[in-house]
Amino acid sequence: MKPSQTRPAEKSPGAWGLSIRLSLVGLAALALSACAATGDAGHVADPLEPVNRYVFAFNQAVDTTLIEPTATFYRDFVPDPARDSVRNFLRNLESPIVLANDLLQRDFEAAGITTQRFFINTTAGILGLFDRAAEMGLERRDEDFGQTLGSYGIGPGIYIVLPILGPSNLRDIAGMAVDYYFDPLNYYANNTDQNGITLARTVVRGIDARSRTIETLDEIERTSIDFYATLRSLYSQRRESDIRNGAAPSLPDLDMTGGDDEDRTASLSD
Amino acid sequence: MRMLRPFIAAFFAVTFLSLSAYAQDARAENAERFIADLGDRALQVLVVDTQSDDERIGAFRSLLNEGFDLPLIGRYALGRYWRRATPDQKSEYAQLFEDFIVRTYAARLGQYSGETLKVVSSRADNKDMIVTSEIVRDDQPAIRVDWRVRESDSGPKIVDVVVEGVSMLLTQRDEFASVIQRSGGNVEGLLTRLRDSTTEN
Repeated sequence: MKPSQTRPAEKSPGAWGLSIRLSLVGLAALALSACAATGDAGHVADPLEPVNRYVFAFNQAVDTTLIEPTATFYRDFVPDPARDSVRNFLRNLESPIVLANDLLQRDFEAAGITTQRFFINTTAGILGLFDRAAEMGLERRDEDFGQTLGSYGIGPGIYIVLPILGPSNLRDIAGMAVDYYFDPLNYYANNTDQNGITLARTVVRGIDARSRTIETLDEIERTSIDFYATLRSLYSQRRESDIRNGAAPSLPDLDMTGGDDEDRTASLSD
Repeated sequence: MRMLRPFIAAFFAVTFLSLSAYAQDARAENAERFIADLGDRALQVLVVDTQSDDERIGAFRSLLNEGFDLPLIGRYALGRYWRRATPDQKSEYAQLFEDFIVRTYAARLGQYSGETLKVVSSRADNKDMIVTSEIVRDDQPAIRVDWRVRESDSGPKIVDVVVEGVSMLLTQRDEFASVIQRSGGNVEGLLTRLRDSTTEN
């Protein structure tokens, strides 16, 4: 039982991993065309809600028993500068992914910044441990293939809660699959049979990210009357904002000056 | 006279344009000052240590009522279900919604640690002004906050707050819609949940 339990979690990028990823891309492409699918609740299409809520409950259980305690321990016992260096190092390794997506979005200025950042941080920042480029005014901006698809005008498709990884959607799952191929580290790990590298990186990145959201998430959970729906909305809006690169958000239309019975908002939610 | 006509037209065009530009500026300035003032007063509430929690929450509630168009926000947060609610449900909802917002955001403001609000710019969006600001923190990137300000009978009021591209109003509406939908499309289901959540702790 033990080995079979741990192996899927390794996300081994062997043959089956690749084929799963490829079939996910196919699935996503299929379903993206149906991205007008309407969920009734709110503005996010969520036809798989019962399954998603089930996975969400599972994730919450794993988070409570394992991830959050680990993240809390990590935060409390690792000094802030060290945690920042861990994050800087991992982000620097992701530079090729960001660069590829800068280029695919034809954002050559961003591509230039990403490239400069990589060289500055790899050298002056000692293999990426320090973000010297940001100190020089070259701020990091994250890009991934999900955002690239979004910038091409492709909608999010349906909302999907992934086991352990959490909120996502068809577009972003397809994005993750494609980003896998933009990442030289994956090829290195594959070729040298060191699949532990990619697993370790995923785990550390996850724990680091979680260690920075402990209070925020706790509080959203405490003040929500439907935590699942709140996170679904937050995730979707945040991704749209990332796709716009933080440009002026298109705020929801608030034209409802009519009388009590006049419900012009209905058109917004349908 | 005929010769003068183009000049007169030009004169009116220039006057009109500069007047409307002036009105635009004044509108932008008003909205920006409104947000900056509110930020200053929120800061005063936050930095006073001597207040008890109840006093702090009371101050927050009055600031909220003064700065925000809560009835409109509440109505919008209910979305299409507003129409399905009975008058009794609507009035109970209005009260519960205010309590819910106070409870939710008073807790968040309680974690104040020296942030300051800096108004950056503003722009018109139909009849609203969108004021862009930054919450400046030590050693961390600033947080971008956009405020949608609408003129009401009692002066400017905030109708939505957008934090890093995430609309609080849209989030609230999505959440409420989900709760109502899960209780069979019945607004009563939401009222029950709001009642429970505002009475606990």
